[in-house]
Amino acid sequence: MKISKRRQVLALGGLAAFAAGYSETAGRMVGKLLGHDAPKHKTAGEAPAPEFRVDRQGKLEINTAQQVSYTTCLGCTTMCGVRVRIDRASGKVLRVSGNPYSPLSTDPHLPMKASVRDSFIAISALNGKGLDGRSTACGRGNAVAQQIDSPYRVLTPMKRVGSRNSGQWEPISFEQLVKEVVNGGNLFGEGNVEGLGALRDLTTPIDSKQPALGPRVNQVAVLSSVNDGRENFARRFFQQSYGTLNFIGHGSYCGGSYRSGSGALFGDMKSMPHCKPDFANAEFVLFVGTAPGQAGNPFKRQGTLVAKARTDGKLSYVVVDPVLTHADNRASGDRGRWLPIKPGTDGAMAMAIIRWLFENERIDSKFLSFPNAALAKQNGEPSFSNASHLVVVEAKHPRERRMLRASDMGVEMPEELRYKETDAFVCLDQSGKPVFHDQAAGPAEIFVDTVLTIGGKEVQVKSSLQLLREEAMRLELPAYAEACGIPAETLAGLAKELSSHGKKASVIAHGGMMSGSGFYNAYALLSINALLGNINWKGGFVANGGGFKDNGEGPRYKLDGFPGMVKTSGTPLGRNVPYEKTAEFATRKADNKPYPATAPWFPNAPGLTTELLPGGLNGYPYALKALILWSSNPLYGIAGLHNKIAKDLADPKKIGLIISVDPFINESNAFADYIVPDSLMYESWGWVAAWNGVPTKAMSARWPVIEPQAAKTPEGKAIGMETFFIALAKAMKLPGFGENAISDPDGNTYALNTPEDWYLRGGANIAWLGKEPVADATEEDIILSGVERLRPLLEKTLKPEEVAKVAFLLSRGGRYQPGKDAYDEEDPRWMRNPIKSMTHLWNENVGASKNSLSGKRNNGCGSWIEPAFADGTPMRKVYPADKWPLQLVSYKSALQNPYSIGATRLLGLHPENPVLIHPDDARRLHVEMGDLVEISTPGGSLKARIMVHAGITPGVAAIEHGFGHRELGARAHRIGRTQQPQDKRLAAGVNLNDIGLLDPTRPDKSPWVDAISGASVRNGLPAKMQRA
Amino acid sequence: MNAQPDLSRRAFFTALPAVTAGLAVPAHAADEANPHWSMLIDTRRCIACQACTMACSMENVSPEGQFRTVVATYAITDQAGKTGLAVLPRLCNHCEEPPCIPVCPVGATFKRPDGIVLVDGDRCVGCAYCVQACPYDARFVNHHTGKADKCTFCSHRVEAGLLPACVETCVGGARIFGDLNNPQSDISRRLAAAEGKTSVLKPEAGTTPRVFYIGLEKQLDGRVDGDSTADMMWRPATQGA
Repeated sequence: MKISKRRQVLALGGLAAFAAGYSETAGRMVGKLLGHDAPKHKTAGEAPAPEFRVDRQGKLEINTAQQVSYTTCLGCTTMCGVRVRIDRASGKVLRVSGNPYSPLSTDPHLPMKASVRDSFIAISALNGKGLDGRSTACGRGNAVAQQIDSPYRVLTPMKRVGSRNSGQWEPISFEQLVKEVVNGGNLFGEGNVEGLGALRDLTTPIDSKQPALGPRVNQVAVLSSVNDGRENFARRFFQQSYGTLNFIGHGSYCGGSYRSGSGALFGDMKSMPHCKPDFANAEFVLFVGTAPGQAGNPFKRQGTLVAKARTDGKLSYVVVDPVLTHADNRASGDRGRWLPIKPGTDGAMAMAIIRWLFENERIDSKFLSFPNAALAKQNGEPSFSNASHLVVVEAKHPRERRMLRASDMGVEMPEELRYKETDAFVCLDQSGKPVFHDQAAGPAEIFVDTVLTIGGKEVQVKSSLQLLREEAMRLELPAYAEACGIPAETLAGLAKELSSHGKKASVIAHGGMMSGSGFYNAYALLSINALLGNINWKGGFVANGGGFKDNGEGPRYKLDGFPGMVKTSGTPLGRNVPYEKTAEFATRKADNKPYPATAPWFPNAPGLTTELLPGGLNGYPYALKALILWSSNPLYGIAGLHNKIAKDLADPKKIGLIISVDPFINESNAFADYIVPDSLMYESWGWVAAWNGVPTKAMSARWPVIEPQAAKTPEGKAIGMETFFIALAKAMKLPGFGENAISDPDGNTYALNTPEDWYLRGGANIAWLGKEPVADATEEDIILSGVERLRPLLEKTLKPEEVAKVAFLLSRGGRYQPGKDAYDEEDPRWMRNPIKSMTHLWNENVGASKNSLSGKRNNGCGSWIEPAFADGTPMRKVYPADKWPLQLVSYKSALQNPYSIGATRLLGLHPENPVLIHPDDARRLHVEMGDLVEISTPGGSLKARIMVHAGITPGVAAIEHGFGHRELGARAHRIGRTQQPQDKRLAAGVNLNDIGLLDPTRPDKSPWVDAISGASVRNGLPAKMQRA
Repeated sequence: MNAQPDLSRRAFFTALPAVTAGLAVPAHAADEANPHWSMLIDTRRCIACQACTMACSMENVSPEGQFRTVVATYAITDQAGKTGLAVLPRLCNHCEEPPCIPVCPVGATFKRPDGIVLVDGDRCVGCAYCVQACPYDARFVNHHTGKADKCTFCSHRVEAGLLPACVETCVGGARIFGDLNNPQSDISRRLAAAEGKTSVLKPEAGTTPRVFYIGLEKQLDGRVDGDSTADMMWRPATQGA
């Protein structure tokens, strides 16, 4: 029992140090001798000398033994601008803090015109500057610098010894690596392995009976993690040059269902645009399955803005989540409140709110009535929706559930333009007469349920908003309350609050949407924003400012194409295309049994790593022959995937070649045949925009502020993703790399032989974008920022007039639009960088699609659907609560991420992840704080310690993500003659994904994913618990 | 002053007399050459992200698992059954009457004229009497050096015109560091603006701390002594097995 005497107080963290100090004292008193290394300085101890001094007059004096450089973090996916302080002699990173030019680290951020000298003074104690312009790194951002010097880093190319996942490797030369992976052969004494050279077959179809699958090259798949500013380079090689269609990131096991819900709202299910609350100016925000200050993206910026706004500003907010989060703070009183909810039931809450808004006429009818952007703008609205656009609801009509279009009304147009962008939508004007949405002269009817005569036939149509209203009215508030566990009066209260702040209230979600009803939960929640009419409004729901494009056509260099570029084609292995267009469907339809498909298809999803591996190993729709894992770890991150595929992945007869590019050995690339070292964080190049949550343009620079530790290529460049891919391209004589691979607007060509050839020229493009190019860096900027170290490279690579401008960007760690530019010049109540997409209350692509297992139609608007398996069977129908009384959810802390376990300073504070359960459940299960329990799901079981915690919804067990590693140091590998050290701290805790579910309704019995978004389900897993 | 623009300035001028009395600092003591360093922690702005904890750990190269500052984080359930989060950023209080000083047998612990309480590692013999004497459990014996160790307010940085590492990197902007003797400093103005609504830990201990809090949870006030901290601490790796 380690809880308070007063029982209502539970210590959650941050107590390690002081108590340890106390116990050590006790040890000391009985004569235990501690320590012997005298401190370096008698009062400052081991602390290094400051990086610079700023005197009372503001004079800066540099410590020449250190270097302070602005680059980009990779401690999570936020990509904060950071300042890295380096000991010049040893190259060791001493500490990391924020880059004051970066809005991801600073509020308000410094203007670019401030010199590097001024930026140093800006973070000093002088006249309170450093308090007002505080530029921060988070706890993890501070600690991950440790990973640079981790004993578990991969620093040379390695080839497996023995079977896959044996934990034994031999270091090999770069030349051997390239030769073997390109040429293949009997590489492991296990028979012939097809090399990347032979696998790059752009002409032979995978299956001559199914030409739609595309050429054989698609049997090579690349999995990446997050765009850290380098992804465009990797895509240039593997997609544009090598030619495979299958290159996918981690979205489907990140927040995929949230992104897909947002994609439905904004009408793009592939790029899935999304918005964030304008934290600084909002008056009320409903956070659902996401919490500022807890985790999320941008983690730090949200935390900073919300802490400020709830204290000094007008913001109040409610966080709806099964678990109490760090967004809660009792000292802030009612400014921030926590509302517990049953896992995966956010859609019930959302639809209750929507119902209440309709019933009480609290929707923004004015905004919703404008059917196009121009009309909306004329009437003072910076965005518009399809609320008034008509949907065909006539049963059996060929256009059933699709938007009624001008061409349906008889407007002549070429067939290939029908139902595309220029084929207008139809609405009813206020006299009830049909009008094309782009020709409407005034507001349109928003609630329509009528029959139109079209082409002599009567066709029933309804407006998008009408369909959403009907869906919301399907259940009464008490029924929604019953479903989500939030009292009906609270649901009504939330709706009232949301509609009491004009445009300055919004609803946002994220990772909590990863449930078996995630897509519809997210779509329903985000649709509330449309009903509030808050999009593009200051204080409302606002778009990311975006970045400055490095790899585009470019004002200085053309980096988005080259002669011989491959246009990829075929069917993506993640099956995110319509099943109804496949040869399989045609065959089955001919047999009158079109459904179910062999495995589900996801026409409204982006690329799916969740599906690629099980499908590729099953040979459906085709087999994988080679897999490239670039810093990708799906076996750790996807619920149920390890159980599903680990055995197959270990079998070289299934996938012949697995190559990883990664600075570490993780749970996935432990199965690789080859691991190629990669640069890590401050060693890398890159250009990366903020993911979201920054209303101004922000493009952060990643540049090697320290020398990469990996071994060198024969040309003397550090081995990493770029040098490896360049070598592969040259070995296979592929286009787009080597001599003359890059051109400029004058038609001159340049080589792409080194990472700098790419990234520095990308920098030149960034410098010249916008109204005018950026200024030149001064000599002093270059010296103070450490860019001096790279000056010869800049001078060698760039045109003379480009050197100082690219140096300007590097010296400031990127290019950032001034903070004052967040708002529109004409109307400061609007955002300057708006989202231009129409808001979709009805999404016809979703609404017209069918479940590929059941053949049933999907709903096309926000909806409450009980968490269900792939064919629509409710989870609780298969795994009822009497047998599986608990539901597991995953959450993240502010400290640990899936790849930060090796930052051991974090473990000193937070050594493992006890599973949280509610005191009521603890009593029912007869377990107490600290007990070891066995947690079982239909997907497996694990043993874990529990923490009894009132900050969780009864009936829920919560597991923090980031622990329970099998790799990343948890297992010591042997590399050549060297055995890695054993560090059992790195194996601490448990990983929820190890007991993720396989979907019993899927013919292929693959891991449970959301039926629309294809995103991993990790929230709301049926479970039971007993004392171990 | 971005964080609290005009309000705090106005508040400062009106509230000055009351606050100076409360702090027992002469109102005219604005001499920059004689600073008195102090910290104010506005717990409403703390998000318990532990950026301070980790920055301190990196800056001061503390042994792993030993921290000079941490953000203790508690779940508190009130009488109505509502559960919320309370935070308590903790560090050496740099007391005006530091109980750690008189117990030191070798005179290693001392308070400088600028208010910072330090340990002279050359003198310290690691007897840990000071560790016992601190009512805030803010000291420990460093595993590596065998010396008494604690927060220095990053004196080495402060002397260089910089901010303590924890303050520099405070994501929520909760930690304010500055000179109490300068009425124009952020900390003086914010203390004034708070109009006496600040508190210190264990005022009854008579230590006169120079770390002030806004929004300090009453329930946590007495929960910083070694016994109760150890009792409340939950470290599965080492306990409860």
